[in-house]
Amino acid sequence: MKIWHGFVFLSLAAVSVFCKAEAVIVVANTPDKSIHLNRQQVRNMFMGIVSPYDFKVIALSPNNQARVVFNTKVIGLTESRIQSYWAQMRFTGRKTSPVELQNEQLMLDFLKENELSVGYVSSTTNIPEGLTVIFETE
Amino acid sequence: MTNNTLKILSIVIVLQSLFCLPSLAEEDDKLHFSGFGRFIVGHLDDQNAEYAGYTNKLSVNKQSLLGLQADYTFNNKFSVTTQFVAYTEDQRNSGLEWLYATYQPNNALRIKLGRQRIPFFNYSDSLDVGFAYPWLTLPQQFYDTAFFSTFDGIVANYEFPISGGYINYEAYWGRFDDKIYLASTEIDTKVIGLVGFNATLGYNNFTLRASYNEGDVNIKQDEAAQFGEILRQLGFDKNADWLNANGLIQFYQFSANYENLDYFVRSEIAKMVGKGGLVADIDSFYVSVGYNFYPYTVYLSYSEKDLHFDHIPNEIPFGLSPEIDTLAYTYQGVLAAFPDDKANGTKIGIRWDWRTNIAIKGEMTFVKGKDAISNDYALKDLGGFDGQAILYQFGIEWVF
Repeated sequence: MKIWHGFVFLSLAAVSVFCKAEAVIVVANTPDKSIHLNRQQVRNMFMGIVSPYDFKVIALSPNNQARVVFNTKVIGLTESRIQSYWAQMRFTGRKTSPVELQNEQLMLDFLKENELSVGYVSSTTNIPEGLTVIFETE
Repeated sequence: MTNNTLKILSIVIVLQSLFCLPSLAEEDDKLHFSGFGRFIVGHLDDQNAEYAGYTNKLSVNKQSLLGLQADYTFNNKFSVTTQFVAYTEDQRNSGLEWLYATYQPNNALRIKLGRQRIPFFNYSDSLDVGFAYPWLTLPQQFYDTAFFSTFDGIVANYEFPISGGYINYEAYWGRFDDKIYLASTEIDTKVIGLVGFNATLGYNNFTLRASYNEGDVNIKQDEAAQFGEILRQLGFDKNADWLNANGLIQFYQFSANYENLDYFVRSEIAKMVGKGGLVADIDSFYVSVGYNFYPYTVYLSYSEKDLHFDHIPNEIPFGLSPEIDTLAYTYQGVLAAFPDDKANGTKIGIRWDWRTNIAIKGEMTFVKGKDAISNDYALKDLGGFDGQAILYQFGIEWVF
């Protein structure tokens, strides 16, 4: 019986860790620590749509797992559709795509050094002091 | 070496030279180069017809092109953008497509002044950037109805967030003074008072757009003008009026799109009303559905065009004199040269996003012309055409 309980516990723990790894948090360097956005506001911000917050938006490059999760859970579009969207925006002079960084460490370093910047990392990442989590996926 | 070969060679040379550009951009991050390209091969299965420039011969020089854009940012409010496009298609003039300055006082408002694309329809300002849309060829029954694509003027754009999405308003004003191609003929065209307004609502996964555009068109048409003047002097005013193509053209457009991770629905409907006699009214639409299984997208699309003239019947009597008879026959000939034109197109295709900036596409378009074919638009009867054909296309689209 104990073995069975242990198996169930480990399974739940594994599922929990897996789900956590499949979540992303949106982190900002902002003096206003009370900011908390909903999914649509974050989506707007990362799709170049005007936002009440004047943040410099930073994205991860397409080879990052956190970007895949972010595309799926926040943007709600495939990577190819996002790329074609930015092509249309760029070559019609409407918007420019976010700056892209190669990995989460570079993202955190950039956010720490640049006030009013915002980016996303996987939810298991340790967030340095001074940065604020403004959105978390489920 | 043919002109087309030279053009393709030029494109390759330009493309190669672009590999040196990133170093230039690094030296001065205010100057940024980017570009787009298309290499498309197509074949129509009917030797009696032409569609979107393609005939029964395998062609690579109809839609293949290369575009280069340079953006120079002075500060966070002012920038200048220029775009050059080299076309392989003879009937499109390679060269400067865009040259405009942007003033953006804040995130919500953007004003652009200079030569730009006219935002008639959803993809009017990105026609050449095939990477930006799923189809290989835009639905021609819809997108072949706007004769001019660039203008000189001002565009103001204002965007604001709402709960669950955003609203974007755009207005423009300007003029067009250049050549257009109709039935393989180059026509000097001037459009003054070119104005338009469009509103876009983005709400969750839906995007709705409505636009109104108008312009006062002046087409250089010496022969028709002279013939019309003769008819007017003889008192056949209604027929003379109909020979005048000049006048107001109005475009109405509405589109509704939905997209999520798995599929998309895109639809657009438009109405063009021409006040001039030789200018047709056009009703057109397309509906397209697609399914995503990254990195692939498959789609099915249907589009239709109903082009109709307000033909004024011949009021010139026969039998009065040989000269009057000649005028009557000539007028009837003109009427016959501007027939109503209905066509539809059904396409299936696949897009494979091979790399984040390179897409490979394959597409089959079943095109069907009803009644007479005017030969002024994408579908042309080369003689003996039964009204149905299939266009096979394969292409590579990229951005850099």
